[in-house]
This record gives sequence, structure tokens and C-alpha cells, in this order.
Amino acid sequence: MKSTQYSEKTLEHFRNPRNVGTLEGEDVAVGRVGNPVCGDMMDIYIRVGDDDTIRDIKFQTFGCGSAVATSSMITELVRGMKLDEALKVSRGDVADALDGLPPIKMHCSNLAADALHEAIKNWRAGVGPEDAKKQPGGAACHPIPAEVAEVEIENLDAYEGKGLYKRLDDLAELADERVVVLDTGDAAAQLAMDLTDHTGRVVLMTSGKEPSVSPAVRSALRLSDVKVLAEAQPLELLGEGELERIRVHDLNEDEEYELTADAFVVLE
Amino acid sequence: MKPVYFDHAATTPVDPRVFEAMTPFFCERFGNPSEPHRLGREARSAVDQARARVAALLGAGENEIVFTAGGTEADNLALFGSLARLQPGHLVVSAVEHPAVMEAARALNGRGWDVDYVPVDGDGVVDREAYRAAFRDDTRLVSVMTANNVVGTVQPVAELARIAHQKGALFHTDAVQAVGSLPVDVDELGVDMLSLSGHKLHGPKGVGALYVRRGTRLQPLLHGGGQERRLRSGTENVPGIVGLGVAMTLACEAMPEVRPRLERLRDRLVAGVLARVPEVTLLGHPTDRLPGNAAFAVRYVEGESLLLRLDARGFTVSSGSACAAGSDEPSPVVQALGVRPEDAHGSLRVSLGRENTEEEVDAFLDALPPIVDELRRMSPLYAKR
Repeated sequence: MKSTQYSEKTLEHFRNPRNVGTLEGEDVAVGRVGNPVCGDMMDIYIRVGDDDTIRDIKFQTFGCGSAVATSSMITELVRGMKLDEALKVSRGDVADALDGLPPIKMHCSNLAADALHEAIKNWRAGVGPEDAKKQPGGAACHPIPAEVAEVEIENLDAYEGKGLYKRLDDLAELADERVVVLDTGDAAAQLAMDLTDHTGRVVLMTSGKEPSVSPAVRSALRLSDVKVLAEAQPLELLGEGELERIRVHDLNEDEEYELTADAFVVLE
Repeated sequence: MKPVYFDHAATTPVDPRVFEAMTPFFCERFGNPSEPHRLGREARSAVDQARARVAALLGAGENEIVFTAGGTEADNLALFGSLARLQPGHLVVSAVEHPAVMEAARALNGRGWDVDYVPVDGDGVVDREAYRAAFRDDTRLVSVMTANNVVGTVQPVAELARIAHQKGALFHTDAVQAVGSLPVDVDELGVDMLSLSGHKLHGPKGVGALYVRRGTRLQPLLHGGGQERRLRSGTENVPGIVGLGVAMTLACEAMPEVRPRLERLRDRLVAGVLARVPEVTLLGHPTDRLPGNAAFAVRYVEGESLLLRLDARGFTVSSGSACAAGSDEPSPVVQALGVRPEDAHGSLRVSLGRENTEEEVDAFLDALPPIVDELRRMSPLYAKR
């Protein structure tokens, strides 16, 4: 069932959220994540002391029950913490502190840690609250903060010419290969569909619940032979010399696994 | 105050009289209607009686009613049953259909059928011009719901069915929300097939029916013992069918009293919400709507939060927000009305039923404004607007 089975603790934080509001002053930074179009947006305000600790913390959140509860919980978790410690507080820690979140909420409405990290980053970079609150933008909903959506595979370039493709001029080159195309929008999805004429094994990998494509492409995709792998974040390319596998983070289950692949296409 | 149930479009409590009528068919009169012995004949006669009631209330013939396991099965039987025997062609549905029709259409699309989704106007009414333009020479079937489950808009089904017939297509309507709330007569509507469900009209869950006009050829979804004139094999859900017959009878008998009362309560609720909460829009048609449906877009708040806060205060309502629906996107129906996604996340559906009172509506009108206010004060969108 897709329903919202919240823990008592989550409901309690939702009903009585702690530290709602905003902060002002020279010693304040803000982190904003999410997008109202997706139904979740939050601002986390931190006041930072001379000793690099979070002296005060407040939040404002537009979102569902878990968005409010995770915001409230993180303000309690990190108040008084050193910034370096606070950066280590993860989405998983927040969910654990709430006695767990329903699986469907783990990815979509668990943004509080991201907003806190964003605030700390902004503090360190000297980004003022007004600049920080400029919309992060981004048309696609569920690869949430922009930097998560961007490919951050450390050894990506090492596989260029060895199974990694940043462009593809001749699709026949990948005939009968196991191809993984990273979802970077309509063009990537179109390429994936075109590839099915040459190989029966095409996977479109997206960190969202659905590829970030326009409605027309989405319906074409549904009817195509492309297999969509949702809520998957590539972490590392593996293989002796040539690409053999991709290490993937399953964002829904918060687990890692390896996916066999001969080619990985990340369009520039 | 006792908890207030305002989610009748989702499901309704079983009327105690319905429950009482069903009860003997579990432990005492449990026979299989296909058997010729006394117990079997008793069960058969109960099923026949329910069929006669349902048929009469729809203005249909008894052999035009097929009992199913609910509205979803009735919709699937209508779409797949009428089309599966044909060469793939063209199918027309509205953009605001229930998932039971929408997903069946998508599945047919996967089997080679072209599907057109006809848009609706801002009130949720099918766009007549786009509807007429959608037809092709190979259009075999049209499915447009009688009344919408999310925003309550009632469609001009009789007119749409007439056009479909002029173009040589069959017409199906999902009347799950309408039957029991509004007068529904298959000849007045001129439809070939019509789906209904028990639990939306104070009957039990797990039972529904499809009206199939005489002469309409269908292929069954389920094969087996050939029950329901071979259209729905499987031993009949006798208690459920009995419950559906009684529930529909009670709902239709009470309609002359209940319908105007619900409309008054609904109008009171709508006027109260619009007057007391700023930046709220009524969704759906202002007058051509289900008697008990009041649907809103509440700006700057997220629907699940609103639902949970109202729930904590004892009011059971529904929301089409993505989070409440456990999906990626807010209600496609609300978006089809042209509501922006960020506002569609704040959709709120209040659906009244015959046991609701004016006191309950007034208590809701007192409870809602402070909750919206509190959520807006928490929302970064409200501050920056």
C-alpha cells in the first residue's frame, strides 16, 4: 500500500513542530532546497557562534507531514553542534531519529539534512540569506538538490573511450551491448529509445522516481523497450581496463548494488 | 465533538439496514447460486432480486446487469471486454477519468490501440470542440465519467453519448460517483455501458456492477463457470450483491430528501471556506457538481499537511497532493483543470454524505482557518509572496 504510515514520533513532530521561524543578523546563514512545483520546499536558518557551533536554528517548510517533521527533528539534532559534526548528519540519521519514515517519503520528503548542509555551505562561502533563497530552479522534481542530480562519479573520466560515452555518433557501435544511459533529460531518453533498434538491453537510469522528461517523451518511453531504472544514483565505474559494472545507490532502499554494463552514456 | 467523516467520495460507511440484509448470507443462507438444491435456490433468488432492483433503479433490463467485484472491474470489463475482440483502432477518454479507466486505456494503448485524452475546461467539463474533433473513422469506444471523483464536476453525458453514436462508436460511462447521489437512467443518458460500485453508496466494498445494453458484444475478463451470462465467471458474491441491491434502493429512495439537503450543506461549506480563508479557489463546476463534493485549491500549503492537521482535529478529508497520493505528481485531474502544480499540491476535497449535519459543517468552518493560517506561517512560500 502506498499510504502514509508515519511513526508516532513523526506525527508528534508534525503536530508540534519545534523551532519554526526565521533568524536575522550578520551571523546567520540560510539553506534552501526543494521546489514548490514538486510539493516540498524548505529553508533552514542557522546562527553560527565564534566557536563554529550552531547557536540557534529555525526552519520554514512548505510540504507534507514528513517534510515538516524532518525539519523539526533536525533543528533538535544539531543545535549546539560544531559545523563539521552537523555536516555528518545525514537523511538517514534524521529518519532514524523519527523512528523511520515510510519508504515513499525517504527520498521525496526528507530534505532537511540537505537544507542544513546547504546552510553550512552558504555560511562558509559567505553567501547571504537573500542570495541563498534564490530558487535553485531545476525543472525535474525528484532528483532534489541540484548537486545530487549532477553526476559525481569520481573515476568517470578514467573510463572515457573504455565504455563511457559523452556523445554517441554511431548507434550501431553499441549493437547488442548492455547499455546504461544516464537520465539527463529528453535527449538522453530519446537516445535510449533509438538505441533499442540496435540492442535489446537498454537501461535509462534516473535518480528520480521517473525520468526527468517532457510528458510526450514520457509516454513514448513507456511504450518503448527501454527499461527505466528509477531512484538509482551511479557512484563508481568498475572494471579491469574496460567498463564492466556500475556501482549504484538505490535511493529508495538506501542500499548499494552493482549493475553489469558494457557502455555507460552520460550526455554532456 | 465526535469525529466527522467528510470523505464519502473515497468510501462510505455501510448502512446498518444493508448490513442486516447481508448478514444471513454469510453463515446461514450460504448456498452456491449455481446449485439446484434448496440452499442454492435461496441464494439464486437473492441474487436475482438484487439484480432486479439494480436494473429497475437504472431503468435497465434485468439481463443487462453484470455483477462484478467493484467499479474498477466494471470499468475494465467495459473497456477490455468491448475492445479485446476487435482489431486495434481508436479509443477516446476524457483527461479526468478515474485511474480504473485511465490505466485500462493505457494498457490498451500498449496493445496497439490509439488513445485520445480529451481535455476539460477550467470547471472540469469536457471540451466539446476537442471532443468532436477527436473522433476518427476507427473510433470504437468512448469512455467519459458521469461525475468526477476529485472535483465533483458532472459531465454532459447524454450529449456526449449522442455524438459518439453519430460517429459510430460505443459509449461507456463510469458512474461510480453519481449512482446513489444523482438520478441515473441509462436510457436518458443513452449509454451502452455504465459502471457502478457498492461502497460509494453505503453498500459493501468488493461489489459493483456493469450495465451492458442489450446487443452490446463483450468478451469476459475472467473465464470459468460461466456465471453472469458468461461475462463474469466465479461464484457470485451473494452477501455483497444483496448488499448492493439494498444499498442502491435505500440511496435512491432517500435521494429526493438527501440530495437537496446535501447541496445546501455543500453550498454552506463552500461559501464559508471561500469567505473565511483567503487565497482559496473552488475546484470543479460551481453548480453542475455532485451534491456532496466541495473541492478546493488552498495556496501556499501542502495538502497532506492540511489533511493530517484536520485529521488530528477529528475531520476526515482527502487531498490530491502528490504526498497524500503517494506519487510523484499532484492530482492529474486537478492539473487537467489548468491549476498550477504548486497550487495543485494544496488541493483539499471535502465530500459530504447523508449522515453529515450542519453542525459538522460549521465546526469544520471554525477549524479550518486557524489550521491554514498555522501552515502558511510555517511556509516559506507565504512569506515571500
